[in-house]
Amino acid sequence: MIQWRNEIRQTAKGLAFLSPWLIGFAVFMALPIGLSLYLSFCDYPLLQPPVFVGLRNYHAMLHDSVFWESLRNTGYYALLTLPAGMIIAIGAALLLNSRVRGISIYRAIIFLPSLVPLVASSMVWLWLFNTRLGLINTILRYLGIAHPPGWLTTTQWAMPSLAIMSFWGLGNTIVIYLAGLQDVPKELYEAAEIDGATPARQLWHVTLPGISPVIFFNLIMAIIGVVQNFTVPYVMTQGGPDRVTYLFTMYLYDNAFSFLHMGYASAMAWVELLIVLILTGIAFWSSRHWVHYQGR
Amino acid sequence: MKRMLKNIGFGLLLVPALAILFFGPRQKAGVPKGRVVVTYWEKWTGPEEQDMKVIVNDFNATVGRKKHIFVQFVSMADIDKKTLIATAAGVPPDIAGLWDNDIAQFASLGALTPLGQLAREHGITRKTYKKVYWTACHYHGRLYALVSTPADIALFYNKLIFKRDAGKLRAAGLNPNQAPQTIHQLDAYARVLTKFGPHGQLLRAGFLPTEPGWYFPEVFFWFGGHIWNAKTGKFTLTSPQDVAAYRWIASYSKWLGPEAINSFTSAQGNFESSQNPFMLRTLAMEQQGPWMANYIYTYSKHFSTLHWPYAKALTMPLAQRRKNYGWAAAPFPSAVPGMKDVSYCGFDAFVIPRGARHIKQAFTFIAYVQRQRVMERLCSMMSKNSPLRKVSKSFIEHNPNPYIDVFEKLANSPNARGLPKIPIMPQVIDELNTEAQAVALLERTPTRALEKAQHRLQREYDNYERVQRLRRAEK
Repeated sequence: MIQWRNEIRQTAKGLAFLSPWLIGFAVFMALPIGLSLYLSFCDYPLLQPPVFVGLRNYHAMLHDSVFWESLRNTGYYALLTLPAGMIIAIGAALLLNSRVRGISIYRAIIFLPSLVPLVASSMVWLWLFNTRLGLINTILRYLGIAHPPGWLTTTQWAMPSLAIMSFWGLGNTIVIYLAGLQDVPKELYEAAEIDGATPARQLWHVTLPGISPVIFFNLIMAIIGVVQNFTVPYVMTQGGPDRVTYLFTMYLYDNAFSFLHMGYASAMAWVELLIVLILTGIAFWSSRHWVHYQGR
Repeated sequence: MKRMLKNIGFGLLLVPALAILFFGPRQKAGVPKGRVVVTYWEKWTGPEEQDMKVIVNDFNATVGRKKHIFVQFVSMADIDKKTLIATAAGVPPDIAGLWDNDIAQFASLGALTPLGQLAREHGITRKTYKKVYWTACHYHGRLYALVSTPADIALFYNKLIFKRDAGKLRAAGLNPNQAPQTIHQLDAYARVLTKFGPHGQLLRAGFLPTEPGWYFPEVFFWFGGHIWNAKTGKFTLTSPQDVAAYRWIASYSKWLGPEAINSFTSAQGNFESSQNPFMLRTLAMEQQGPWMANYIYTYSKHFSTLHWPYAKALTMPLAQRRKNYGWAAAPFPSAVPGMKDVSYCGFDAFVIPRGARHIKQAFTFIAYVQRQRVMERLCSMMSKNSPLRKVSKSFIEHNPNPYIDVFEKLANSPNARGLPKIPIMPQVIDELNTEAQAVALLERTPTRALEKAQHRLQREYDNYERVQRLRRAEK
């Protein structure tokens, strides 16, 4: 009996200590998540009570051309940034893993841009991409290209420009790859060398399998980041020109806070979650074939 | 020992908490005792914020003191979104300074306090206001807003460029001493005044429909077109007039090339800077509001002081004072023969959100600003015209905008137009801006762009109506 009481007391104490987090989670996470699910089946313009409309919001998406446009744009952005971002980050990490003098300075330089707030770096890139006065086009003109592209002002180049800019903030990812590279056992390289493996084969057969868990982690994070991308296009292009950089989250935001379609925006948020779940699910499923954990 | 450390730790946390509680910042800091605090959120920052603060301070020192009211002015960005969210949360400001195009959306959601009764009590009636503003302050026949300052659109043109290229203008059969009178003439002036560099790049644009890029939903007005028919609840974007307006936008892109226009625009700075193309003299004519006079003076002083110091010129008779300026303003030309003085008459609006705690006191301040003397002072500071019917001679003579009579004439014109009161106005603006951009980039034909906008907006509006019916049925 006494032991039972003690257990209850201990549990109560534990819960009391956990209560700030538990209350915070319930109020700021669980409740809004539940509410957003309910609202996704309602018409809710914020200032009037929600009206239950069943699956109408989800059905409306099927016929909403801007919804599909934003989804297509997000897919295009993902195609441009995910593979190229991974290759650049791994390449940079490999370079930063080499033993040369002053390597810590190079590492700091590569990491620095990721410390700059996104809005600030977006403003800088706005000028770099400026059609007439930008540094990029000035260099291109110097190289003999008489009519360099209108980076952010033409429908063909606006999205690739955002993709180029996204590589600027790869510092975090590079550092994670670097940590992964330093974790690859040296004995494997020694063994490969003894077997006569060239550096390219070492990279393919030792390094990449060695850091595959890190690649997998970064891939999952990148998928989530790409689908949630908002700040940079919002600051740099506001979705233009002609909505070619109008991403899924921007349309969601406009529906929620400009058009006051909170119900529709909630439905979009759940669709977004579903997309992320499917993509990460595919990544997890495929990981069985290409991710190699040490000790397994 | 453990208990002592615990107590010390607790004390260290308690002391700053109590200090913040008793000596921390107070919402009512600086408020004289016994006053009711009226919270006033306003979108303006910079010079306009300072101008309105002058009026607020005057009110607090005079009427406010007498009636025990204190207006607390808070400047903020994204005021429409923040006001809506605060209203939904039940903690709105007592007064919010919105835009005219917010009124329909806010009123349709029941987010605004009707002001008709209060206005009548303060003697503010349809006779107080110019018709275009009075109408635009209503939604479904009820008064929901009053004007803080108006914002009519006219054509600003560079007199110095006109003078320099007078020979070329004359040769083209155009009068260099006056602004274009029709859209056809405007295009002809633009062709003469546009200059290209050795590599074909645009050095100076005579006029660009895409500059400053704020008035795409209003472009139909110059062509006698409409956005929608309030009686039928149908959008009218595919009407021949509206298509003609978009064709006009496309005609500049076809002539100059979208790349050349984009390259030109990218070399200019923000509106609120000395890199503004009109101030840089790289754009000879531009659609703008009366406030432009103040911005020109701030960022390009010599443009407003050709002969005399600015302060001295302000005391001169208007006709003489105009010689001091390198720019002028005129009614924006119309494409419809015989239709003169067409203007989009927008405004900054005072509203009292639903759930505001001090409605009567808030309206006392709003009514104070509507006094002719106060309104003229505020509008003068911002170099704008007045929304009131009665306008003093001195307001016209000494307004920092030497062409304020043009804006007065436009606001009094039978062709003065406000934006239609559509409850889905944010979508309308978003859609029309996107489609106009597509037309300017030659990505879509004017007809296709407007058909697209028409289809999408009509579906949005029909959906809005359907849900409203559902709401009414639920009640």
